[in-house]
Amino acid sequence: MPNVQSFSSLRARSYVFRLPLFTRLMVSAIVVLWLVGIQSAWDLRKWGCLDTERDELFHRTDAYRMNTFPLIHLNLLHALLNLLALTPLLERFESEYGTLTSAAMFFGPLTTIPAIAYVVLERVIFRVNTPVMGASMWVFLLLSVEAMRTYKINPYFIIGTVQVPTWTTPLVMAFVTAALIPSTSFLGHLCGICTGYLFGLGYLKFTAPPEKILRWIEGKLNLLGRLPHYPRRSLWAAARSCRRRPPYISLLLIVVGVAWLFMLPLNDYSRRTYISENALLPGQVHTYFGGSDQNVLRAYRHEVGALENKTNTEVNDKLEHMFRSMGLKVGRQNYTYTTSGNTVAGENVYAILQAPRGDATEAIVLVAAWRNVKGEFNRNGLAVALALTRYFKRWSLWSKDIILVVPPDSRAGTQAWVDAYHDSHDSRRVADLPIKSGALQGALAIDYPQEERFEGVHIVYDGINGQLPNLDLINSVTNIASGQMGMGSSIQHMFHHNDQYRDRLTCMLRGMVNQGLGHAVGPHSSFIPYHVDAITIQPVGQGWHDEMGLGRLVEGTFRSLNNLLEHLHQSFFFYLLMQKERFVSIGTYLPSAMLIAANFTITAIALWVKTGYAPKTKETKDVKEKKEGTDSKKVDQKTEETPAAVERELYLPLSLVTGCQFLGFVPLFVFNHAPASLLAPLFVVVTLLSLVLPHALSFFLVTTYKPTHQQYQLITSFFLLLLGMFLSTLATLNFSLAFLVGLLATPLTFVRPFPKLPAAGYAYSALLSVLNPGVVVLSAAVAATTLQGSSGLGLGVVGVTPWEAVQKTGSSRRSIRLNRVAPPHLGANLRMPSL
Amino acid sequence: MQSFSLSSLVPLLTFLVSFVVASAAPAADYHEQLNLKPLPQNSLLASFNFRSNTSLPEFEAHNFRFFPRSLGQILQHAGTRELHLRFSLGRWDAETWGARPWDGTKEGGTGVELWAWLEAESDDEVDHKWLTLTNALSGLFCASLNFIDSTRTTRPVMSFRPEGDHPNTTMANMHLLHGVLPREVVCTENLTPFLKLLPCKGKAGISSLLDGHKLFDASWQSMAIDVKPVCPAGEECVLQIEQTIDMVLDIERSKRPRDNPIPRPPPSHELKCNTTKPYHADDTCFPTDSLNAQEWNLNQIFGKPMLGNCPLTNPKTPPVCIQAPHTRDVFTSMGVEELTEPGNENQRCYLLPSNDEEFHLSLPFMPRDGDRPKTDADEFVQPATPLLYAERSLTGHGQEHGGVQAILTNPSPDAEVEFVYMESLPWFMRIYLHTLKARISHRTGSDAGQTLRDDDDVIKEIYYRPFLDRQRGTQLEIRMKIPPGSTVFMAYDFEKTILRYTEYPPDANRGFDVAAAVITILPSNSTTTTTARRTSNLRTTSMLLNLPTPDFSMPYNVIIFTSTCIALAFGGLYNILVRRFVGRDEGPEVSLVKLRRRLQEAVQKVKARAMERLGAAGKEAKKVEGKSD
Repeated sequence: MPNVQSFSSLRARSYVFRLPLFTRLMVSAIVVLWLVGIQSAWDLRKWGCLDTERDELFHRTDAYRMNTFPLIHLNLLHALLNLLALTPLLERFESEYGTLTSAAMFFGPLTTIPAIAYVVLERVIFRVNTPVMGASMWVFLLLSVEAMRTYKINPYFIIGTVQVPTWTTPLVMAFVTAALIPSTSFLGHLCGICTGYLFGLGYLKFTAPPEKILRWIEGKLNLLGRLPHYPRRSLWAAARSCRRRPPYISLLLIVVGVAWLFMLPLNDYSRRTYISENALLPGQVHTYFGGSDQNVLRAYRHEVGALENKTNTEVNDKLEHMFRSMGLKVGRQNYTYTTSGNTVAGENVYAILQAPRGDATEAIVLVAAWRNVKGEFNRNGLAVALALTRYFKRWSLWSKDIILVVPPDSRAGTQAWVDAYHDSHDSRRVADLPIKSGALQGALAIDYPQEERFEGVHIVYDGINGQLPNLDLINSVTNIASGQMGMGSSIQHMFHHNDQYRDRLTCMLRGMVNQGLGHAVGPHSSFIPYHVDAITIQPVGQGWHDEMGLGRLVEGTFRSLNNLLEHLHQSFFFYLLMQKERFVSIGTYLPSAMLIAANFTITAIALWVKTGYAPKTKETKDVKEKKEGTDSKKVDQKTEETPAAVERELYLPLSLVTGCQFLGFVPLFVFNHAPASLLAPLFVVVTLLSLVLPHALSFFLVTTYKPTHQQYQLITSFFLLLLGMFLSTLATLNFSLAFLVGLLATPLTFVRPFPKLPAAGYAYSALLSVLNPGVVVLSAAVAATTLQGSSGLGLGVVGVTPWEAVQKTGSSRRSIRLNRVAPPHLGANLRMPSL
Repeated sequence: MQSFSLSSLVPLLTFLVSFVVASAAPAADYHEQLNLKPLPQNSLLASFNFRSNTSLPEFEAHNFRFFPRSLGQILQHAGTRELHLRFSLGRWDAETWGARPWDGTKEGGTGVELWAWLEAESDDEVDHKWLTLTNALSGLFCASLNFIDSTRTTRPVMSFRPEGDHPNTTMANMHLLHGVLPREVVCTENLTPFLKLLPCKGKAGISSLLDGHKLFDASWQSMAIDVKPVCPAGEECVLQIEQTIDMVLDIERSKRPRDNPIPRPPPSHELKCNTTKPYHADDTCFPTDSLNAQEWNLNQIFGKPMLGNCPLTNPKTPPVCIQAPHTRDVFTSMGVEELTEPGNENQRCYLLPSNDEEFHLSLPFMPRDGDRPKTDADEFVQPATPLLYAERSLTGHGQEHGGVQAILTNPSPDAEVEFVYMESLPWFMRIYLHTLKARISHRTGSDAGQTLRDDDDVIKEIYYRPFLDRQRGTQLEIRMKIPPGSTVFMAYDFEKTILRYTEYPPDANRGFDVAAAVITILPSNSTTTTTARRTSNLRTTSMLLNLPTPDFSMPYNVIIFTSTCIALAFGGLYNILVRRFVGRDEGPEVSLVKLRRRLQEAVQKVKARAMERLGAAGKEAKKVEGKSD
């Protein structure tokens, strides 16, 4: 160890593998206890921390805490940092004093003395109770031992002209730590340092067990032989053995990944929402929409109601007239979309309330679609929007233009309008907008078809392709609704959320499914791809709030948005909401999908490495007897200890993988161009094909090309590699989709020939067939139908929803679907010739 | 000013003509006039005009009378021959309000706009004088004019022409510089210094009506200062300063009392309803009130009364004029003399008595029903159609590319319009000039409604001065001619630059304001048109450009986190890896060890002495040895 001037990875590795026994034990104890501490059933930290409050601390029942507290850590970071600092120090200590002495010292005086000192100081002098845990006390203790030793050799270091005694270093570090890292126990560290000084000065040597006794013990038990100071079996060897068991690592990753997701709803992993953008100030303004404005609103409701059965043009004529009489600028826009053989045509009408003192640099959008996504007539929503716009016109405080958009439907109309606003429309199908305003800063859609008064609002926030609006917008509306208006708010159709684990998990999973499907769930969805934060507000339930309450909610939200100096950017764009006031941010949830994606990559790499060596005797013998073309390899067996490197035959695997990937364009093209009536049968056909094709392909391959075992492995390896790559990329864009696809694809990791157990092979391929995405979607649709009890809706789910999702999620999803369509089953079916 | 005497049709100008002629006699004088013009949709245009002058020799001799000394000294110091300064807010709604006041020559783009002709020998000297001028004006007007640096300064080639009469000798050395601050918010702190330049300083005369709360609550407002030399034929040259404030007030909003400006819903019995609706009831009301003419008076809409005449003003100039149909009733306070021009019934002017009494003017409510129902024509003079409509917006989305589209419409059925379109763009908007395209769409004629691509015909001339990174912005001047009844869609693309970390302004995520495009409509040369038009101006709205913006907190988070990690983990490990180790006996000893060693030595000595004395007494020696262990 001494005199290492430059850091080399080799040396570091060997350093790690030569860690002495006690250090190793302590390190693993810390790691294990951290892992144990992850679960929530038993509060390890409460059990093990040095809780000065307890009176029985010096009694038999609780004295264990004196020894357990350094091994327990608050969280991963705490454990990791302490481990990094402790390991080298402890290793030195142990190599100097010996394993047994170290064990005796660290389970004895070096832990208990600072602990007792700490407890006494806390309780007697400061009269406070701060439970502590963590190995940092040891770190500082060992540091001060080292510092004392340094002091003997090199008493001062010179900064400028000042001579600083070297023994002060741990004190300085303790101060720095206390200042930099929150919630560290400065007092605890100080106790450790004092004990360290005492030990370094040699005043505590008497507590060490006598050398003779130690020698005697070692000699009697032959510890040196049995429990070597430097263990023979190194971690590297263990790692090497792990290399032979990548499936276990993959399995571990999957389990951890899934478990991770299920831990997210816990209090420790999710956070309360907060308003990040200070300019928003939600709920800080008085809202004045009320009084005689309600009379106007009633009149507008009559007007809108009278138009219910009129044509789009008649409606827009009337609305245009109303807008003009309010003194607004009005524009109309025609659009015609042709999808799946259906033509969706209509005309948007929109009005711009020009900010009285503004100059068309920024705008906020209020959307009141004529019909909502379910096709219901949005009578109250439109009436509220009209009355609000009239009311807004009276204010002079608007810093941004307000645009009221009335599309005839909730999906195509808004899409056409937003596209044209940003000039990314096809001007043959969608007309240009005659008038425009500035950059859109936010959009709010009102969806209020119900006639009765309402209890609370339901906030819909999912955008197209799983994109989400800025969390600040949702928080503002929630805040105004509950804090100012006294109405409830809910998300993801969880109208009675009790904020317990189960409800949180359900809410999160619903959000994930919506995000994974990635289709438009409201008029707001079309705005989000253009980086315009948007949500839909739906009044729900039976309560005492009337339309004016909704109007005031919108007014409050608009006032907040009006305050914005900058585009919404402060808060999160990647989050999972599990309650209206609880979320997980991307840093916390992303590892879950990443671990699942990594499992494919690890298996892929392992398979690739495996294909580089000739197969071993025992495993291949049986296979080889049944397979042909491998006789040549029979020569090098039995005696071979290290497997010989062999050439990889890449041609077949590569062409197969590429071919199958591109085959996925076929269903994509078909679904994008088939008429709507054919979508449902086509979907079934493609699902059936994707079930049959892998078997057919594998049969064809086996009979024609007679691929070798290595080629099978290579095919699997390439597919898994691509899958892992796509999933990890997708996880950063659409976590839910990556997670769901990854989860369905997990059996592919464990695909291998089952030469001895044909039944297992069949079972496995049956499992893969069941998990085929087509089958999953189909069964989900059927389940939904049975639950809903109406067959029409079921068909709708089968026919439209998944394919919209497929179309909209575009190429990333396509690539993943490709993986699933045919080839991954190949591995499972490779045993066919042997039967 | 010669062109003034030519214009006889524009009613607003006729007055100015008469009063230019009248004012020509004395070398130094002062005029002020307020022109009120009701506009459609319950708006009111109020144009304040203050003009004073001083003869050039007196100016050179530092003899200022009505000319503000603070400004005069700045102009002398910076060698400024002609100065134009604009503070503007809001947008002019040309569709509703029609042609702009003063033909748009007395307005600027949103924010602050400054252009001046400086006399200097070299470019360096010009830059230096410009720097002096902007910094001095910045202090004088409480505006960030000092931020007009080289990246925001352009030297227009085709757009601006000197308005004053300059002798040919100085013309050669005059340099035009132009700068805009689109992000500058104009507010009351700019009004106060503006009023201080006036001889009556807002204490009397029409300037006593000016109040920051009302002015900056206006739907559109523009404050202008123009300084230029004027040489009337056969007379001494004078330096003229003209201060103008134009504002469009929303009558309903302005009438709200100052202590209760919140637009609370009116009591339901005050709500004007359409009673013909079948569902009309006590609690249901379809409103009709929004566009009817409202009654108003000067006190109400300006928030304070007009405090008589400014004593310094020319007594022959009527201080207040209103431009409304002669059928509209206008009531004034006692002793006020009403003047009407014979050929122009829509213009009424009021000469105030010389006492200091408050002047009141009110327009009563116009009933739209009853015995003598009034119509729009009774309420306001139909505004003149502007020569050109211009609208500019950003196109595209994303953080890399974008586009700008300008829609320019010539509403005239028979006259061509020729103009110069000038853009001064910031350097981080890298425009691709080759993408500049002009499409034309005719609304009349044989090819009505068709969209043609006809660049050559529309664009006559392009002056382009490309940007230099961090040094100067793009300057683009395009001379265009639009045939009657046509719309031109001009578009070009640009690329967004990624700025350096420190180049972002505060509130970087708001985006960057791009200054308004300046459109200068050139006087038509054709003799067939009856009106010999003056140069008139037009400005588009400014734009908000979103550039890719980094997350500014990220670097700090990363730095803090990594520093902590390194300090804690790497520091300890590295220390151990590089430390020099020495044997235990090599280093100095401290305290207990030393003590023990001394003890040992002492014991050894005692032992040795004992050995000497007692000879070989093995038992004792062993005891001592055991002790020392």
